[in-house]
Amino acid sequence: MKIYEYVVRRLILMIFVLLGISILVFYLARGFPSGIAPWAAYITPKMTAQQIEEVKRIHGFDQPLHIQYFYWMRDILHGDWGRAGIWAQGRPVSEVLFSHFPYTVELSVAAMMITIAVGMPLGIISALKNNKLPDHVSRIIALTGYSTPSYWFGFMLQLVFFYYFRLWGLPNLPSSGASGMEGAVSWVTGMPVLDGLIAGNVQYTLDALRHLILPATSLAFISLGFLARIVRASMLEVMRQDYITLARSKGLRERVVIYRHALKNALIPAVTLAGIFFAWLLGGALITEFVFAWPGVGQLSLQAVSQGDSNFLLLYTLVIAAIIVIANLVVDIAYIFLDPRIKY
Amino acid sequence: MAKKTAEARTGEWAARWADIKYTFYLLRKNPLVMAGSIIAIFFVVLALLANFIVDPNLANPSGYPDFDGNYPFERKLVWNRDSIISWPGRIHLYEGPEQFLLGTDSWGRDLFKMIILALPVDMENAFIITVGAAAFGTLIGALAGYAGGVVDEAVLRITDIFLAFPALVLALVFAAMFGRTLSTLRYALLLVWWPPYVRLMRGQILGEKEKGYVEALRALGGGHIGILFRHILPNSIYPILVQATLDFGGVILTFSALMFLGFSPSPSLPELGNLAASGYEHIFEAPWLIVFPGLTMLIIALAFNLVGDGLRDVLDPKLRR
Repeated sequence: MKIYEYVVRRLILMIFVLLGISILVFYLARGFPSGIAPWAAYITPKMTAQQIEEVKRIHGFDQPLHIQYFYWMRDILHGDWGRAGIWAQGRPVSEVLFSHFPYTVELSVAAMMITIAVGMPLGIISALKNNKLPDHVSRIIALTGYSTPSYWFGFMLQLVFFYYFRLWGLPNLPSSGASGMEGAVSWVTGMPVLDGLIAGNVQYTLDALRHLILPATSLAFISLGFLARIVRASMLEVMRQDYITLARSKGLRERVVIYRHALKNALIPAVTLAGIFFAWLLGGALITEFVFAWPGVGQLSLQAVSQGDSNFLLLYTLVIAAIIVIANLVVDIAYIFLDPRIKY
Repeated sequence: MAKKTAEARTGEWAARWADIKYTFYLLRKNPLVMAGSIIAIFFVVLALLANFIVDPNLANPSGYPDFDGNYPFERKLVWNRDSIISWPGRIHLYEGPEQFLLGTDSWGRDLFKMIILALPVDMENAFIITVGAAAFGTLIGALAGYAGGVVDEAVLRITDIFLAFPALVLALVFAAMFGRTLSTLRYALLLVWWPPYVRLMRGQILGEKEKGYVEALRALGGGHIGILFRHILPNSIYPILVQATLDFGGVILTFSALMFLGFSPSPSLPELGNLAASGYEHIFEAPWLIVFPGLTMLIIALAFNLVGDGLRDVLDPKLRR
């Protein structure tokens, strides 16, 4: 099979997976009516009972659930995702979601950068000093990372770096929000750090970065342990290969053997897990956003859950799922180019 | 199945037993695994005995007879003046006759006792979820891997659907729609935890069913069910055990995270996430409320992860011997 055939096959399968996801989510969200009625936002107080019935009929809410699914699909394909409840001023849910999405992206990307910057060296050191003290220390850091309740760690960071540091008169970090200078620069990407850079406003950028440090650290701490363990395992695997023995017997320096020959191959499994990591970060961002009052979509989804707003939850879960499915596809395709041994 | 002599059967089990003994020998050599197992066993025993050590009625906020069903206001959110830890900041110090090892919560309950009472709730749920998900996932994965073809493809696509969500997001939607009870949370987590086991088991079976002994058993006239469950499954179960041990900590963390996010059936239920949730509003004035329940979770999860991580190294055929 050629690469493009593989990609096309995966794209077709992806559509089926996305359809399956939408059915699962639709039945979960609409099958058990609780909270806000999905048609509530179309109704104004002036409407007569007849007009309300008419609205329900247009959007198919008078039909059985499996027929409603097709009405919903039709509305989606026309770009109508429904409206959110009063908690979001009854705005269209897509507008609500995408106006807050850049914040979540900023947080996830920052966390991903910290994960890679700390997790990778940790894993490499662990493999090179296998079963020696650095390995044990790195193992404990990694395992502590993914044994930590993320909300607890977030609050501990707040307690120390915001509250106690301020109490002791040390330079402290903000505990909530994405920016302390809302509206100081114009909205371009929606990500405070990037917007600050684009506007060339140094003060704003630094302030946004200060707000970003604690949430990103809190989010990254959980995933960097996983990355460290994966890099360690694959590095150990590679170091046992014949070509490493050959490189050593050629008289190459150990540094060259490790960085030029071993590391490149050892990182392939880590790259393939990037997609899954992204999923974790998006899912984990929900708690981190809650703890740090970060204005991202995770926090909105918690509000939607507490209000029982099925319109918003449908869009949120589908967008997250679609991102993960696409990320996994991109990673699988990248794998083909990274590892020439793989043929499809 | 072909007739088998009693000796052959004993021989088979003796070999398996010797293998298990060797595994334990390898595990004992790793100090981190030993430390993890001791802590894990300690918490399991503590959870089993919790309701005998601490009177479960103390968890009921109105269960204090000497306060006529009212909350004991004078000991809400207090920390003993002569305790080992002294917290900086606005802390309510308590100079009464009672000693609260880890302070009191917003109902005036002794936090230390509440943490002990929380252990059986968390451990029981984590156990049910982990074992349920592992058993179901293993069964489906084994059947899919052994059957192959259309069945395999269909099962894989279904797991794809579930794996496309971060565990917490799907569990959250499920819990939101079905209401706030312990059993809803259990089903929500079972729903998100079984697919990885399907993938894991299927991969194992695919490798195992091509081996010579399977062909030999088939040539001897072995039935599919017998070959799968008596021979292939026991030979490929180790990674499942490792994964389940590693997942136990993760399940406790996710379960308590859902509780923390407000899916608790009752705010006064002693559960680690719930205890922490009642504390986050008072984080700067009564930090112990969130520090200690979280620390307990961290220690339990870390203990199980240490054991699981050690098991993975020991059971990996490439690293063994």
